[in-house]
Amino acid sequence: MSAQRLQQLKGHILPEDKVTPMAGPVSPLSTHVLNVALGIPGSNMSLSLYHQDASSDIWSLVTTGITNADGRCPGLITRELFTSGVYKLRFETQQYWESVGETSFYPYVEIVFTIQDPGQKYHIPLLMSRFSYSTYRGS
Amino acid sequence: MSGTVSSPLTTHVLNTADGAPAARLALSLHRLEATTKIWSLITVGTTNSDGRCPGLISKAGFTPGTYKLRFETGEYWDSLGQTSFYPYVEVVFTIKESDQKFHIPLLMSRFSYSTYRGS
Repeated sequence: MSAQRLQQLKGHILPEDKVTPMAGPVSPLSTHVLNVALGIPGSNMSLSLYHQDASSDIWSLVTTGITNADGRCPGLITRELFTSGVYKLRFETQQYWESVGETSFYPYVEIVFTIQDPGQKYHIPLLMSRFSYSTYRGS
Repeated sequence: MSGTVSSPLTTHVLNTADGAPAARLALSLHRLEATTKIWSLITVGTTNSDGRCPGLISKAGFTPGTYKLRFETGEYWDSLGQTSFYPYVEVVFTIKESDQKFHIPLLMSRFSYSTYRGS
């Protein structure tokens, strides 16, 4: 059984990865990392969310996290902090591929996006292999 | 045609929403300086009517390292009178064997994009 498959099974059996944090309501911004080369979630990938200050253009870190067994990272941001503006999700893709013994064409992936209506839900998945990736605005 | 050798690094921007090349999209190529970790600009260009931008870099200039292609996608959609979810797209990639050809396309709509390593 591969290490990847074992990780997946652990995620089904152990409740911790599936329980939404008790801290509060669901984040209005979510992500989902998928390893499309193997057809599995991209679990244990480090990522970070940044917000760009509108006047200075300086990026400030909002959250860091690691994807769970399902490739998700709950609790990225609270409704209160989620104002309109420019955000960036950074995925440590090379670290991820190295941890499974492979190289990657992309040292990291940064997706920069504009939130005009923070009252909506935004889902920003990353579908990736070692030599390609895609993203879209979901809900 | 200037008769120069074609760039070992090429790109192709496609507007998948309209099924057409993305013409007149501004882009730039940068290289990360290994010691200072500062990005330095190599080329600025604009895609032609086929969504391509020849002459990105010379064979001599194309050394192993970390590069970034930045596509001014927000500006592009603005010029078509449309909004876009992404103000720009940056694709950062590592070149180990600089004697190969690398093709880094960008397939995009207002609310999605994808890229891959081609040849």
